[in-house]
Amino acid sequence: MEVNKIREDFPILRKKVNNHDLVYLDNAATSQKPARVVKAIEDFYFNYNANVHRGLHTLSEEASEMYENARKRVATFINAGHESEIIFTSGTTDSLNFVAQTWARKNLKKGDVILMTEAEHHSNLVPWQIVAEETGAEIEYVELGKDGDITLEDFKSKITPKVKLAAFFHCSNVLGITLPVKEISKLVKQNGGIVVVDGAQAVPHMSLNVQNLGCDFYAFSGHKMLGPMGIGVLWVSREILESLDPYKYGGGMIDLVEMKSSTWAISPEKFEAGTPNVAGAVGLAAAIDYLSEIGMDNVSSHEKELLTYAVQKLKEIDRVKFVGPADVSSRHGLISFYLDGIHAHDVASVLNSIGVAVRSGHHCAMPLHKKLDIPASVRASFYVYNTKVEVDKLIEGIRKSIEILG
Amino acid sequence: MDSGIYKEELMDVYKNPQNRGKLDDPSVAVLERNPMCGDEINLQLSIKDGIIEDARFDGSACAVSIISSALVTDEIKGKTLDELKTYDRRKVLDLVGLNLSTSRVKCATLILSAVQSAIKKYESTNK
Repeated sequence: MEVNKIREDFPILRKKVNNHDLVYLDNAATSQKPARVVKAIEDFYFNYNANVHRGLHTLSEEASEMYENARKRVATFINAGHESEIIFTSGTTDSLNFVAQTWARKNLKKGDVILMTEAEHHSNLVPWQIVAEETGAEIEYVELGKDGDITLEDFKSKITPKVKLAAFFHCSNVLGITLPVKEISKLVKQNGGIVVVDGAQAVPHMSLNVQNLGCDFYAFSGHKMLGPMGIGVLWVSREILESLDPYKYGGGMIDLVEMKSSTWAISPEKFEAGTPNVAGAVGLAAAIDYLSEIGMDNVSSHEKELLTYAVQKLKEIDRVKFVGPADVSSRHGLISFYLDGIHAHDVASVLNSIGVAVRSGHHCAMPLHKKLDIPASVRASFYVYNTKVEVDKLIEGIRKSIEILG
Repeated sequence: MDSGIYKEELMDVYKNPQNRGKLDDPSVAVLERNPMCGDEINLQLSIKDGIIEDARFDGSACAVSIISSALVTDEIKGKTLDELKTYDRRKVLDLVGLNLSTSRVKCATLILSAVQSAIKKYESTNK
């Protein structure tokens, strides 16, 4: 994998921040975009823009074809059984709310349990709180095990026939761990529950076979995988797809509309009321092509190499405490940490002063930070264009913040 | 630029902030939080005849918040409650004298929210 060549594809990496080269290590929040993705969006608007599935004219047919091709590319990328299982949404949050407001709201009742982990992103936590409130279902959490890890064992005691819905991350945006989705799904399904997976931090970084995971719903965003903001995906298994009610109602999702009632189109149109984000889907398809050319296994191993290097360097600084397991074997390409006695915001500000962009705060995981009893943490997350030289800059900034703030 | 906040004279305030601690017999005490960043400030005021006699703060917060709390608690001593009601973000930012990025402004103004809540609480319990 030629990182220097890849870097040339990302115009933003030439930017200076505070007179320093930008070192972008906030990829778990959103990734940067290669010129090709932006060009694909421009090309759509300049040459093909029309509403989809409506007009008989050439432009509309071309736009429709581009939109449906994007769906096929997504289906192939995650190894879905069929493209009709791919529903375009505005992002992971929208995808998870989709499941909460359709399947969960209709099927959950008093006495049922919704199972999550303590480390969920707010987007995979708050929608279930609302559903629980509405349906009378109860929420239970798989607790953080020792070493800041969550394993299959931690799930086992929590999975009972009462668990009707389990919603958990594939890769954690704070702990940096990857859950054994396949094994957990199997247990939940054996007990009669359905499984919803938040794949926002997984799809950008690893090759995926969604059918193999055994889950029912899988959600992810385009903008974290080199694609544009405002486009995301909800993958739904065949078995569930047929019985699922629409999420939104309006144009584009109907079969027949009469004065008093209507019937629905089939999937995926049934679930995509209103004018869809066609340019976003086209941009996402371009991002998928770009990632596929690099090869997802190469993406994973590059990130792992950077992570291993970063962890080794961070361990040399006594004040650094890791959030999640310090063992890199169970981790993907992000690391959260804090410095004893220095607030994460101050570390991030000093890092910013030398051009290094990291996330500081609770990373949309307040309950987790409360459990760990830290107000905030710093998170460095890597992607295809990051280098070891940039990790060195991160370390330099951390040492500088200790020097300044004591 | 954010790094400007880490100037030496302000770092002295950060490392040894004045008015950090607790009062023996405060007239009012409040806990103010900034949930977005996890900052927490405990503010205690001693009030006599509508005038702030003394002020102390404590809590876990970032440098910007600590520096601002130290300077603001100094500033408000001897002021009347009515005077303090006119304090706004601008006033606090001028006092702190930092050119803060938008995301750090709320760190500096956490103490202002604490002062405002304390006055409100004091007045509602001492009618």
